[in-house]
Amino acid sequence: MNDRAFAFALLTPAILCVVGLVGWPMVQIVTLSFAESKGLAAISMPIRAWGLNNYISVLSDPETWDSVVTTILYVVGTIVPSFLIGLGVALLLNRQFPLRRALRCLALLPWAAPGVLVSVVFLWLFDPSYGVVNYLLRATSVSNADVGWFTNEDTALFAVILPSIWKSFPFFALTILGALQTIPEDLYEAAHTDGANSLQRFFNVTWPGIRGPAVLAIILNALWALREFDIIFATTGGGPARATETLGIRAYIEAFSYFEIGRASAIGVLTIALAALMIILARKPLQKEFF
Amino acid sequence: MEATGASRARTLVAVAVMVGVILFPIYWMIVTAFLPTSVVLSRTPPLLPPLGAMSLEAFHTALVRRPFLVWLSNTMLVSVGATALSLVISTLAGYSLSRYRSRVQEASGFILLFSKMLPGSLIVIPFFIMATRAGMIDNRLSLILANTSVGVPFATWMMKGFFDAIPREIDAAATIDGCTRLQALWHVVIPIAQPGLTAAAIYLFIVAWADFVFARTLINSPELWTLTTGLASFVGEHGVDWPGLMAAGALSMIPVFILFILLEPYLVSGMAAGAVK
Repeated sequence: MNDRAFAFALLTPAILCVVGLVGWPMVQIVTLSFAESKGLAAISMPIRAWGLNNYISVLSDPETWDSVVTTILYVVGTIVPSFLIGLGVALLLNRQFPLRRALRCLALLPWAAPGVLVSVVFLWLFDPSYGVVNYLLRATSVSNADVGWFTNEDTALFAVILPSIWKSFPFFALTILGALQTIPEDLYEAAHTDGANSLQRFFNVTWPGIRGPAVLAIILNALWALREFDIIFATTGGGPARATETLGIRAYIEAFSYFEIGRASAIGVLTIALAALMIILARKPLQKEFF
Repeated sequence: MEATGASRARTLVAVAVMVGVILFPIYWMIVTAFLPTSVVLSRTPPLLPPLGAMSLEAFHTALVRRPFLVWLSNTMLVSVGATALSLVISTLAGYSLSRYRSRVQEASGFILLFSKMLPGSLIVIPFFIMATRAGMIDNRLSLILANTSVGVPFATWMMKGFFDAIPREIDAAATIDGCTRLQALWHVVIPIAQPGLTAAAIYLFIVAWADFVFARTLINSPELWTLTTGLASFVGEHGVDWPGLMAAGALSMIPVFILFILLEPYLVSGMAAGAVK
């Protein structure tokens, strides 16, 4: 066997896996989005008629556009605070202090918590009557109302964003912490000798050192937030009154609550298009970091 | 610049406060799990648990009145299966991507990279259809395959990173000594890459352990539920059994937290190196 054949043989299982378990499903979702069959018929029967009806019905539905807005609010509302918190945590953890290894581990622990677990814990923290958050608000006289954070239309999106931030800031912290450790110490010493203050040191030494990985982490997290399912579905299921229904949740509900596979697929394709648009917009930093 | 003792102490205080705030949800979960419902369902819950009132009642409920151990064994089976399968596939692929450069390698690398950006919540719809047609709904094998599809793209790039760090001369020396290329990989390269393999395995395991969307969609029968579908089933009942739920949650988290402690040093260095991205 020559080198090329050997290299290809090693790759074959991965290619089969990606083609069969990612590529083929993608082909299916695009196919189904153009199928003019009602409900679950698309699954069991061969598709006879093709057309754009699913797209017309989805795009002319104002609820779809509500979901687009909810998705954007959710993504931005999750990513911006996660990034800032992650940056702060990373800068603090990068300093010298006793018990560093143990404390660093504890601070980043939420990364490993399964989304559903995070969801049930936050449901309990924010329970209207017995939740500790409302208790603390009452005790500090901030608010006496028993706010139903996850059940109130006005607060639900905020309530869903909080556990999402809690789960996603460690990824930023990990990425930035890794990058911080590659910045040579003498750069700081030089900046110090030149009389730079801490703000100047941050913008002239720290930020250039972490910019690439940080931007990449923002893009990846935005893509992940775009399709977040676990936390939203396990806390609110998209409700109340669709206040937390992002495109990902909407596609899932169309498919598995209304059994509208065609419409669900069309929404799925639109979500992928949105993700692709994000990747294209972020092409330059991506290329710089990956290739 | 060596930090002075005073500044190290100040940093320690700041970090400790920060860790306290970050871990408050976990603290509250554990406290709730150890308290009886009568104490928990209070308008003024005690922030520090009254030691006298603490009990293991909720853990007893979770383990005896709820099929927690069934969910645990299902999750374990699926996570171990998906981890093992993904690890074999991605070790071979990662080695190929690291050692050989051709169009095929470049294209596959790019496709793998792209597919790790694709969401599980979108491919679950076609996955459900494929599983229905194949008669594989309510089958743990389809859950293993679904988690493998998520794991392989990630782990392949991780493994490529590890193999890149091992000099090619080592494989070359082994083949000159009479090993076939596969033997060189198995007997020489993999033992060197073993820490990386462990890290990739832990990473895959944590991801599979957390899966909810596939488990909820591809499994119907309660006796095949995983921990995440089990935990989610507590919610939405009339009057949630909070101590029981928190006890089940705390127990379900122990394995991944132990694994995370092992993985964390790698994550900090690995993220910078571009491996987990």
